[in-house]
Amino acid sequence: MKWWLYIAFKQLFPSGKVVSFFAVVSVLGVALGILGLFGTQSVMNGFHAQIAEKLRDTTGDVLIRNRGRPIENARELKLRLKKLGGVSEVELMAGGPVMMLFENVPSFPALRSYDTVSGECALPIREKSFIRMGSVDDLDDDSVIVGQRLGASMGISVGDSVEVFSPVMLDKLKNDEVPMPVRLKVVGLLATDYSEVDSNVALVSLRRMQDLYGLGGGVHSIILRLGEGVDCSDWVEKVGKNAVERPLTVSTWLDSNEAFLRIIKMEKVMMSLIIVLIIIVASFSICISLYTSVLRKTREIGLFGAMGARPVQIAMMYCLQGFMIGVFGSLCGLGLTWLILHFREPIVEFVVGRESLIEFYHFAHLPVKYELGDALRACAFAIVLCTAAGFLPAVRAARLKASEAMRNE
Amino acid sequence: MNSGANLEGAAGGAILEAVGVGKFFRSPNGDKIEVLKGLSMRIARGESVSLRGESGAGKTTLMNVLSGLESPSAGKIFWNAERVDNLSNGKQAALRSGFMGFVFQNYCLVPELNALQNVELAARICGKFGKAARARAKELLEAVGLGHRAGHLPSQLSGGEKQRVAVARALVNAPRIILADEPTGNLDESTAESVMDMLLSLCSREGASLLLITHNPDFAKRTSRALTLSHGVVE
Repeated sequence: MKWWLYIAFKQLFPSGKVVSFFAVVSVLGVALGILGLFGTQSVMNGFHAQIAEKLRDTTGDVLIRNRGRPIENARELKLRLKKLGGVSEVELMAGGPVMMLFENVPSFPALRSYDTVSGECALPIREKSFIRMGSVDDLDDDSVIVGQRLGASMGISVGDSVEVFSPVMLDKLKNDEVPMPVRLKVVGLLATDYSEVDSNVALVSLRRMQDLYGLGGGVHSIILRLGEGVDCSDWVEKVGKNAVERPLTVSTWLDSNEAFLRIIKMEKVMMSLIIVLIIIVASFSICISLYTSVLRKTREIGLFGAMGARPVQIAMMYCLQGFMIGVFGSLCGLGLTWLILHFREPIVEFVVGRESLIEFYHFAHLPVKYELGDALRACAFAIVLCTAAGFLPAVRAARLKASEAMRNE
Repeated sequence: MNSGANLEGAAGGAILEAVGVGKFFRSPNGDKIEVLKGLSMRIARGESVSLRGESGAGKTTLMNVLSGLESPSAGKIFWNAERVDNLSNGKQAALRSGFMGFVFQNYCLVPELNALQNVELAARICGKFGKAARARAKELLEAVGLGHRAGHLPSQLSGGEKQRVAVARALVNAPRIILADEPTGNLDESTAESVMDMLLSLCSREGASLLLITHNPDFAKRTSRALTLSHGVVE
């Protein structure tokens, strides 16, 4: 081992001690910075991944729409789409806002159709067991499955009946007719674990939805589920856009939620930028500590010079200390991140409470997704900054004249 | 001196020589302070030379100039008849690490290293690693009577013990010369005596020359030649 590497190591981990106080505090500072940075990024990644999954699960992979108008020849188009490569499921869908009344408690959820005749659905309702206290097979033209949180907020239980008023009923009012609400029996609860949906959506049969919105045989959109591993954007570009004619539009779930997903990504970047400050502060502390060490060890540095050490070797000794603090701090930071996030559930429960998490973030559990790129970037940043923190003291040490340093009091 | 200079030197003759060496410093107000004034001296191979002088006479400056830690303002330094004062810093550093050993008044041990590691350090700086270097360090620690304290940190050693470790460190690379700057200055009389005995006997055993800076006339007498530095020249 080169002597300067040896001394750098020994100054951090002196003989007779496990580790020096300076090393512990410096490594801890960097580790906390990595915890803040990588931990936040992992949680934000988790949010992004989970929201993306929920959005995909509740909107489908590809949407075909008619610029807000009903699609009239939907069944014919459906047959054509089913024959396209990469398509797994094709669902005709109608949906829109209604007023729901239960024991004089009103609510304004969005109704979404489920094709009870064909049983085809582009959403993983069965695969992911989205229906609780009932089954999607129980759904018919006179029943409804309400979102779990919507039901809870209105006091609705399975077996109750709700009254539904649709916007089309306004036309009846214009013609001096009395609009009669549709009475539907609740046969299950929709629980996707995404509170945005569970609080605002209810499922009815496609025929009932067409009736409520006066669509006749038309639908609002056609939703496609693509096969495993098929890239939505690629499929739309290469296949989807050629499969339908104007004025129909084809878009992916990513297009539909682009702004929302971009905001989450931007939030991650902003939070990372703020937390990066912790690592910068830690590196300043390391710089100051190493600089103090140079001042304290001036005579020692003079001794190295007298014994034949070259200035560049003396400089390397201090840069290496910064580098080692960066490396050890990063490794400890990654370990600490894993440890804290592994036990995140009780921590969240204790700090903010689960209800707040559900209320503000729409999830029952704090999601986490580790990304290797984030870890490597955070560690590289910390290591470079810590090494740079050692640079100033290193230059100072290297410029010391051995003869003058030896006379230092 | 050409790049193929014989730094190791041949037997006999002057190992280190100063010819007409002058050294001055500038005071903060720009005044010229002349410390060495055309000084000439030579140290032969295996010879021990003491250098006395009043505080501020320039003894340490002379040692720094001779070892290449400082450049002379005038004159020349020869190492084994080769001029060395005009060598690059790197070559002077190599000369020091390979052929010179230093002992200082304040021991200058690295506090994070134990006694054995401190002795080994000089070998490491010289590029010597491994079992041979460690064995040499252990042997020297035994020679200075501190074999049993090899694992002790400087903070666990007395002043005399620290200085003995420093002597062992100075000798670990089998240098041609030991430059000792008041090595007993911080020690009590009996400890100083034993350190001096050990320094002289080890230099003799290793065949190293010795330049001993001291205020103690008794120690000065024990060297082959006693010099006094006064008004910038040796007498």
